[in-house]
Amino acid sequence: GSLTKKSSQNKTNQIIKHYQEEGQGSEVVQGVLLGLVVEDRLEITNCFPFPQHTEDDADFDEVQYQMEMMRSLRHVNIDHLHVGWYQSTYYGSFVSRALLDSQFSYQHAIEESVVLIYDPIKTGQGSLSLKAYRLTPKLMEICKEKDFTPEGLKKANIGFEHMFEEVPIVIRNSHLINVLMWELEDKSTVADKHELLNLSSSNHLEKSLQLLMDRVDDMSQDIVKFNTYSRNLSKQQQQKHQYLQRRQQENAQRQSRGEPQLPEEDINKMFKPPQPPPRMDTLLIAGQVNNYCQNVKEFTSQNLGKLFMAEALQGHN
Amino acid sequence: MSRFFATGSDSESEESSSADEITPKAPGTTLKQSLLLSDDEEDTKRVVRSAKDKRFEELTNLIKTIRNAMKIRDMAKCLEEFEQLCRAFLKSKNIVDKEGVPSFYIRLLADLEDYLNLLWEDKEGKKKMNKNNAKALSTLRQKIRKYNRDYETEITAYKENPQESADEEEEKEAGDSGSSSDSDDDDDDDDDGVSAKAFLKKKPESAPDASKFLKSSKGSGESSSSEDDDEGGWGSDPVGSGSESSDEDQGKSASLAVVFLKKTHESEKSADKKVSKRKKIKKEHLEEEPEEGEGEEVEGGWEKVKGGVCLVKEKPKMFAKGTEINIPVVVKKLNEILQARGKKGTDRAAQIELFNALAAITAENNLGQGILVKIKFNIIASLYDYNPNLAAFMKPDMWKKCLDCINELLDILFEDNNIFIGENIAEDSENLAISEQPFRVRGCILTLVERMDEEFTKIMQNTDPHSQEYVDNLKDEGKVCNIIDRLLDYLETKGSTEEICRVYLRRIMHTYYKFDYKTHRRSLGLPAESKSEQDQDESEGEDSAIIMDRLCKFIYAKDRTDRIRTCAILCHIYHHALHSRWYQARDLMLMSHLQDNIQHADPPVQILYNRTMVQLGICAFRQGMIKDAHNALLDIQSSGRAKELLGQGLLMRNMQERNAEQEKIEKRRQVPFHMHINLELLECVYLVSAMLLEIPYMAAHEFDARRRMISKQFHHQLRVGERQPLLGPPESMREHVVAASKAMKMGDWRTCHSFIINEKMNSKVWDLFPETQRVREMLVRKIQEESLRTYLFTYSSVYDSISMHTLSEMFQLEIPTVHSIISKMIINEELMASLDQPTQTVVMHRTEPTSLQNMALQLAEKLGSLVENNERVFDLKQGVYGGYFNRDQKGSYQQKHGGYQRGGYRNQNQNNY
Repeated sequence: GSLTKKSSQNKTNQIIKHYQEEGQGSEVVQGVLLGLVVEDRLEITNCFPFPQHTEDDADFDEVQYQMEMMRSLRHVNIDHLHVGWYQSTYYGSFVSRALLDSQFSYQHAIEESVVLIYDPIKTGQGSLSLKAYRLTPKLMEICKEKDFTPEGLKKANIGFEHMFEEVPIVIRNSHLINVLMWELEDKSTVADKHELLNLSSSNHLEKSLQLLMDRVDDMSQDIVKFNTYSRNLSKQQQQKHQYLQRRQQENAQRQSRGEPQLPEEDINKMFKPPQPPPRMDTLLIAGQVNNYCQNVKEFTSQNLGKLFMAEALQGHN
Repeated sequence: MSRFFATGSDSESEESSSADEITPKAPGTTLKQSLLLSDDEEDTKRVVRSAKDKRFEELTNLIKTIRNAMKIRDMAKCLEEFEQLCRAFLKSKNIVDKEGVPSFYIRLLADLEDYLNLLWEDKEGKKKMNKNNAKALSTLRQKIRKYNRDYETEITAYKENPQESADEEEEKEAGDSGSSSDSDDDDDDDDDGVSAKAFLKKKPESAPDASKFLKSSKGSGESSSSEDDDEGGWGSDPVGSGSESSDEDQGKSASLAVVFLKKTHESEKSADKKVSKRKKIKKEHLEEEPEEGEGEEVEGGWEKVKGGVCLVKEKPKMFAKGTEINIPVVVKKLNEILQARGKKGTDRAAQIELFNALAAITAENNLGQGILVKIKFNIIASLYDYNPNLAAFMKPDMWKKCLDCINELLDILFEDNNIFIGENIAEDSENLAISEQPFRVRGCILTLVERMDEEFTKIMQNTDPHSQEYVDNLKDEGKVCNIIDRLLDYLETKGSTEEICRVYLRRIMHTYYKFDYKTHRRSLGLPAESKSEQDQDESEGEDSAIIMDRLCKFIYAKDRTDRIRTCAILCHIYHHALHSRWYQARDLMLMSHLQDNIQHADPPVQILYNRTMVQLGICAFRQGMIKDAHNALLDIQSSGRAKELLGQGLLMRNMQERNAEQEKIEKRRQVPFHMHINLELLECVYLVSAMLLEIPYMAAHEFDARRRMISKQFHHQLRVGERQPLLGPPESMREHVVAASKAMKMGDWRTCHSFIINEKMNSKVWDLFPETQRVREMLVRKIQEESLRTYLFTYSSVYDSISMHTLSEMFQLEIPTVHSIISKMIINEELMASLDQPTQTVVMHRTEPTSLQNMALQLAEKLGSLVENNERVFDLKQGVYGGYFNRDQKGSYQQKHGGYQRGGYRNQNQNNY
């Protein structure tokens, strides 16, 4: 069953703070989520960031650091069950091999683990963007078997739509936090509040398009690769077929002449099938492209709404 | 020789002395003798004889090996040799027809058959034979049976009269011991120890004595054969002075033996020699032997050279005193000298001298022009032969001699209308005698002249182009042209069409690359400022254009070899282009369709094609056809190997890839320096045309993702310029062009102009054009126009409207010009604007897509290609023909996203306004 996820504002703020402190532009920050499973919910109650490494401390041990952190947290009696991790994103680009791999290892260890994706740019535009994802069981199967060949994926019948499942989020704050929020809202200026109504769109769209285009290029390349592969494969199949036929004819002739048959040779050795290109990347790219499109769609629909609103306002004046 | 005396090897001295009447003093004697003897020998017969001997020698050699193999019962070897023998016999069929089947051949056939039958009967022996041999035996037996059927009569005749077989046996013995050289040597030495010692003792005695001794020695057959061995061993010694003995190798001794076999039944060898002393016919024979031998052996040749030198000294002795000098005698002499031609060690210089002397004698004795022409031909040929290697070039003075000779020859030919020459006149149908009939002489003057011309090219190729020597050599070009002209006159009256075509091409090759200053000046209406009379002569001559036209058209009409026509067309185009007749040149180029198949031509023609293309491009540039110029030069320039492609030098880069042989070949293809096309000029013309095309294009397509480079080379130069860490004032031609391009990008035509046309560039490039001023004016004009276009592309977005007056002032162009340029841009949808006639302003329409729109367009394009690729995957699954989308649909897809291009977008936008 899908688990609803709850998280506290406290931790949300921590994530945001982490990004603001350390993340810049397209750089990505990551951290660990802590919490506990209650009934059919996964409650995330705390988090801590992975420190940014620099070249100097190459011998820094992340696992060691995590253990230390968790031990320390346990000492102060905070939930210390490792329930996932979080990552910031840049214009919604997060569907990558790295994410897949680490999420797989998390989910493999603890079934309920999620990854929280925080989009600082969208948030900056006035709406908090926080999403929780989990790999679908199908994808887990595939990852377990490490079978990324075209056939494997075909057998698993998985498309880019079924790779991740989004887990609904409910944010629940403590009363103290609520009070703080009210306080903050009260203090903020009008301009800050109406960030949401910003009409400028081209910058954001341009960036998105740029990223989308890059992915599309990647996809094209992959397709070309796949194309060559399948062409080679079919050519080889033909050769193999011809060879077998010839062999059969010869054997038939030999039989009629009463000679011994030709020894069977290892056909696979003679015709080494070409290396199939891994399809997982293509799948991921497709997922990412889908993601971008969703983002752009969402963004443009909102923007259109704003534009109509602005038009109406102007007409009214 | 004395060295050999010291070591005690006597045989050769003895031998030579026994053959010659003269005492062996001078090493040159043999030749002298041969020359003396040659007086009374018949030429034609000689040739046949020698061929016959050669063939028979081959046969006897083979027979010998067969007999050897028979002895050791090596059937496989026997079979192999027998097959060879049959082949060799077939080869010598001509001779056999003339002379009849040689008896030794028949003897072998008979013997072999008997022998094989014997073996066949011998069941025991057959069993002992190994498999290979047994097989060979049966095959051979079958073969010889079949073969012998043809010679049945001869064989039976032989069998009836087996007396000869004894000689044969003997001969074979000698041959055997000779062929199995070293190992047998020892035995022989042992056997004949006494006689050998006797020889040694007799050594200092005079030669006749020695020969007498030979005669008297009783066991002559044996002893002389052993002697032959010794002699053979010494003869093949590289230092052995090649008198008779060295010539008579074992093989030859055998053949000789065969020839004289019937006459002498004692020891063949010594006997021959004695006979030869007495009998004239045989002398002739012997004399001819050394001649041949010398051709084949280094030592022999070495001696012959000496003989040649000797001869030069005693030139008057060429003909024996008192000999009546008539044509047959001279011809014979000529042939005699010719015999030595091409042989290893022949002193070529001496040969030439001999020919000259002969020519002088002929002239002295008034033997008529025919023979003189023939001698001249041979002199020229031997002058060419002087250099043994075709790749090496003739020495200029040699070449000049050749030139004079050809001139003299032509003089004769012009003087006397009664001489026919041609390569297809057979040697024996020549008519050299003074008679009613016209002279007929074998030889082709055209080939000689062509060769002379090629040698001239080679000389030019091998002279340092920056030396005075080169200039001096180049002065001879006039002479070459003169000769070609004279030959042309001659052949026009007497030659065949093909010959005329060939000589015309020669003439064209010497004309096409020369700029006709006289005509140029005349066409400009300037008086020809001739300084000398010669100049005046030239200026009065035909226009080179008219000559070219006449010659080329003749070739177009008459030529049947494709190559000459191709060359003529290319030269014609080149000549047109050189003289700025752009349209003629272009039309000729297009009509010839040479672009399509030039890659199948041989390299020299391709080089000529490249040269023509380049010249065409430069011509287009001078005429202001920038685009044509660029297109013509693109192929040559984009490769970066212009130098190589034009045959003006080898690239160092390729040095590793080719070996010495290829390099030599390539060097031979090089165009001589005076025909070079200035590479810097070429590059400059190309870069400037690229700049004039590329800069406005770049400005117009700034945001276009699909933008293509017009000229890679030009972009490369731009990048090089950008990479410079410190940008100083331009130095080289390229830097000038790059700097000018940058200025043009900003629409700054004045700076651009100053970079393109200044003193440095003038001296480097522009002054090399014949009509410098006109070209410069054209260039300025082009720069202004293209700068205007660039300016409008780049800055139209910041203007709402712009007055044409301002533009015309900015770019120093007349208002109508500005008007026409802008109109053109609007029509081509390059500029989104309209013209406002009353106020003379250009009103801009803001329709340039924003960067977001541009990006969306790009994305659309990319998606289009993605879909296309995807379809291909699909096609593959379905098979090509069962594809979901067929080709038409795919085409429509492309059209569709063609619609996404700027024009379409703009149209939509314009509708909105």
